[in-house]
Amino acid sequence: MGKYIIKRLLMLIPVLLGVSIIVFVITHVFSPDPAPVVLGQHATEESMEAWREANGLNGSVVSQYIDYLGGVFRGDLGNSYYTKQPVAKELSSRFPATIELAVVSVILAAVFGILIGVVSAVKKNSIWDSGGRILSLVGVSIPIFWLGVIMIIVFSGTLHWLPSGGQIDPLLKPKSVTGFNLLDCIITGNTAGLADSLKHMVMPAMALSMYSLAIITRITRTSMLDSMKQDYVRTARAKGISEGKVLTRHVLRTSMNPVVTVIGLQFGSMLGGAVLTERVFAWPGIGSYIVECVQKSDFPVIQGAVLLTATIFVLVNLAVDIIYTFLDPRIKLGKKEG
Amino acid sequence: MKKRVLAVLLTGALAVSLLAGCGGGAGDTTTGETGDAPAAEQGSGDETEAPAEGGEGSDTITFGQAADPRSLDPAFADDGESTKINTNIYEGLVRYSDTTTEIQPSLAESWEVSDDGLTYTFHLRQGVKFHDGTDFNAEAVKINFDRQLPGNATEDMPYAGFVFAAVTEVTAEDDYTVVIKLSEAQTPFLANLAMIQGSPIVSPAALEANDNNVTNSPCGTGPYKFVSWDTNQSVVLERFEDYWGEPAKTKNLIFRIIPDNSARVIALNNGEVDVIDGIDAMVVDQISQSGNNVQTDEAMMTNYMAFNTTEGVCKDVEVRRALVQALNVPEMVQTLYQGYDQPATTFLPSSLPGYDSTIAPPAYDPEAAQKVLADKGVTSLHIITYSVARPYNTVGGQKLAEAVQGYLSKVGVECTIDAYDWTTFKEKAQTDTYDLLFAGWGGDNGDPDNFLNLLATDDISMNYSHFSSDEYKKLIADGLVTPVGDERSAIYTECEKIIADQVPILPISHANFMCGVSPRVNGFFYHVAQATKFANVTKN
Repeated sequence: MGKYIIKRLLMLIPVLLGVSIIVFVITHVFSPDPAPVVLGQHATEESMEAWREANGLNGSVVSQYIDYLGGVFRGDLGNSYYTKQPVAKELSSRFPATIELAVVSVILAAVFGILIGVVSAVKKNSIWDSGGRILSLVGVSIPIFWLGVIMIIVFSGTLHWLPSGGQIDPLLKPKSVTGFNLLDCIITGNTAGLADSLKHMVMPAMALSMYSLAIITRITRTSMLDSMKQDYVRTARAKGISEGKVLTRHVLRTSMNPVVTVIGLQFGSMLGGAVLTERVFAWPGIGSYIVECVQKSDFPVIQGAVLLTATIFVLVNLAVDIIYTFLDPRIKLGKKEG
Repeated sequence: MKKRVLAVLLTGALAVSLLAGCGGGAGDTTTGETGDAPAAEQGSGDETEAPAEGGEGSDTITFGQAADPRSLDPAFADDGESTKINTNIYEGLVRYSDTTTEIQPSLAESWEVSDDGLTYTFHLRQGVKFHDGTDFNAEAVKINFDRQLPGNATEDMPYAGFVFAAVTEVTAEDDYTVVIKLSEAQTPFLANLAMIQGSPIVSPAALEANDNNVTNSPCGTGPYKFVSWDTNQSVVLERFEDYWGEPAKTKNLIFRIIPDNSARVIALNNGEVDVIDGIDAMVVDQISQSGNNVQTDEAMMTNYMAFNTTEGVCKDVEVRRALVQALNVPEMVQTLYQGYDQPATTFLPSSLPGYDSTIAPPAYDPEAAQKVLADKGVTSLHIITYSVARPYNTVGGQKLAEAVQGYLSKVGVECTIDAYDWTTFKEKAQTDTYDLLFAGWGGDNGDPDNFLNLLATDDISMNYSHFSSDEYKKLIADGLVTPVGDERSAIYTECEKIIADQVPILPISHANFMCGVSPRVNGFFYHVAQATKFANVTKN
C-alpha cells in the first residue's frame, strides 16, 4: 500500500510536466502579448519593452519555460503581473473559499444523491423512481450559469430571502485565523457572521451540487440494481436476513465503489474552482479568480492555478483508490489480482 | 411487505431531510428580523447587525462594482475600479470641481506658474494629517513625486510617464512650499496633478513600511481611511475622523465586487448594495421597476471609428467622407445605446474646453455616398473590432461594427468584420491591415490635449487611423504650451475642424456613466474623471 501510494505520487511528476507544458504553450505561444493589457491605455513601445524584459518574456519560449520550471522546483510559481504578489500566496488566499464551497456542495450532493438513488433502485419503475430519474436528468442537463441566475432572481430578486452573492457581509467578516470563513466565524464566536455566511452559502452550494447530485443519483441507482441481481443477495434473502439488512449490508455497500469514484471526481473538479458558480455568485474562490486572470492575461497566475488544479485532481483520485480498499476488501492496491 | 415499509421509511427520510435541508437554509436566512422584508428594509436589516446604526440615516453605504481594484496605491493604478476607491482615500495637490474638470485647491492652497511655464510653486495646506497620524508636508510631496520621476519610476506605474515625464526636479523649499521644475512647458500639467492616478499623495511612512508600494495598505489624507480589502470580495473604508476638511457624512463605505452584471442588478434590487455601476440599457427597466433610480452622469469618453488613412481605399479623403455620409450616426447610437449615450459629432466630449457644437462631420446622405463610392469602385472593406463591451461602448465593438456593416451594405459596400478579444485586438490593430477600426478613448485629465494628441502621434497603437497632418501636429504642439484660456481653446476647436474635414476618425458617441442608485441614497454623483466621491453622500 505504501509503495503504491509513493508510486502514484511519483506519477504526479510527468502529469504536472505535461500540464505545465500545455498551459505554458497556450499562454506564451497562442495568446497575444500581455504587455499592452497590463500597462493599459498609456503603454508606449518602450514601457512595454521594459515590462517584457522585467517579466522575462523576451527570451525564447523554451528558455522561458526552463526558467519557469526551475522556479517551480524551487517552490516559486512566479509573481502576479498585477499585484506583484507571489502566485502561491495569491492562490492560497483564495483557496479556502473554494474548499468550503466544494465540501458543502459535495456533502449535499452525496447525501441527497445516494438517498434518491437508493429510493429509485428499491422502488424501481415506481413514481418515486421516475421522479428521481427526471431530477437527475434535469440536474445533468441544466447549465449551471442559468440555474444560478434563476436562483438569484427567485430567491434574492423576488423573494428577498437570500443574499445574491459574496461570502459574507464585509462588516461581519471575522479575523482570519485559519483562512476558512466558516471556521473562523466559529472560532471567534462570531454568530452573526456565521449565520450570514451560511445564508450566503445556500445558493452557490445548491447550484454547484446540482450536477454532482444528479450523477451520483444515477450511478447509485444503476449500481444498486446491479448488486440486487447478484447471487449473494439472493442467498442472503434465502437465509432469511431482513430486507433492511440485505439492502444496507449486502447491496448498498457493494454498490458504493463506483459511487465513491464519482464523488471523488466531482469533489476534485469542484476544488479546481467552480468557475461558473463562483462567478455568478461572486464567490471569492479560485474559479472566479482564474476567469479574472484570463481576462487580464495574468499568465503566472493562470499557470499556477492550472498546476494546482491538476495536482488536486490526481490526489483526489488517489484518495478514491485508497477508499476502495476499505469498501471492497478484495481490492489490494498495487498487487496484481489472480 | 417489509420492502414496502422500507420504501416508505426511506421516502419519509428523504422528505424529512429535504425539508430539513430547506428549513435549515431558510432558518439560517431569516436570522434576525429580515425574513420576507421588502428589499429596502432588508438592506437595513442586514446593516443593523453592523455596529451603531444611527436613528435617522444609515451608517453604511455599499457600492457594487464589477472587479477588484488593480491597486490601492495611486501610482500603480490606472483602472476605473481603483479610481472609484482611491478618490475617497487620497487627495492630490489640486482637485477637479465637482461638476467640471476646472482645477481647484486641495492639498495645495495656492500656486504660481512662472511665465515660461517651467516652474510651478505650490503653497501647501497646513495641519493636514495622513491616516497613519503623520503630517502632510512638502517632503511628503517630494517623496511621492520623486518615486515616479523618469529613472525612478518602474514600468508598472502606468501614469508616471503621463504625469511626470517632463518633471526634472521637485524641491521642498520649506515645510509647506514645493517647487516643481519642468523641462518643457506643458499646460495640462496642473490638470494631471488633479488626476486620481499617479498624482495623489501617499503617506511617506506607509511607503517606507511597504517597500514603496501601498497597494495592499493604502494610506492617504482623504475623508475615508482604509480598513480591509478581501480580494474578489470587498474593500472596506471608514470615516477618517481627523480629516482636515468636513468629515465624511457616512461612517462606513464598502465597495463590493460583483462580477456578473445581472447579479449586480439583483444585489441592488435586493438592498444588498446601494449603488452599482457598469450597467447598460438592457437592465434599466429591471432597476426602475424595483423602485431604484437609474442615474446617468456625463463621462469623458468617446467611442469612435478610425479610417486607415495610409493604406487601402480609405487613403482617399473623398472615400472617407462618402463612407461617413453613408452612416446615420444619431439613428445608430439611438438603436444601440437606447438613448443613454449621446451621438457624437466631435472627438472632444462637450465638457472639455475647445468643444464646439457647430462642428460636425459630413451629414447623412446615402445617395451622394453611393454615387461617390461607386465612382471610386469601393465595394468591400475590412473591419477590425473588439468583441467585448468597453466603458465607452457598452454593447461591444462587434455590434457596433455590424451596425456600420448594415448601413454600408445599403450603399453597395460589403464589409468583413474580424472581432477579437481585447488583448488580441490591441495586437491586431498594430500588425494587421484594415480599412476601418473601432476604438474609444477615456479622458484622463479633462484637458483637450489628452484626446486630440492621439491623432498627432506617430505611435500607431494610439493613432489607429495613422493620420499625419503637419498643420494638425503644429496646432497640438502650440496647444501644449499655451496657457489655459480662450486662445488655447480656439486651437483645439481648430483641430476639431481639421478632423471634421479630413475625417481620419468618425466620432460615434459619448458615453455616460450609468448607475443604479437606491432612492435612500442622497448626493451621489459620478464625476467625469471617473471619481465617485462619497464624503457628502448620505443614506436614509
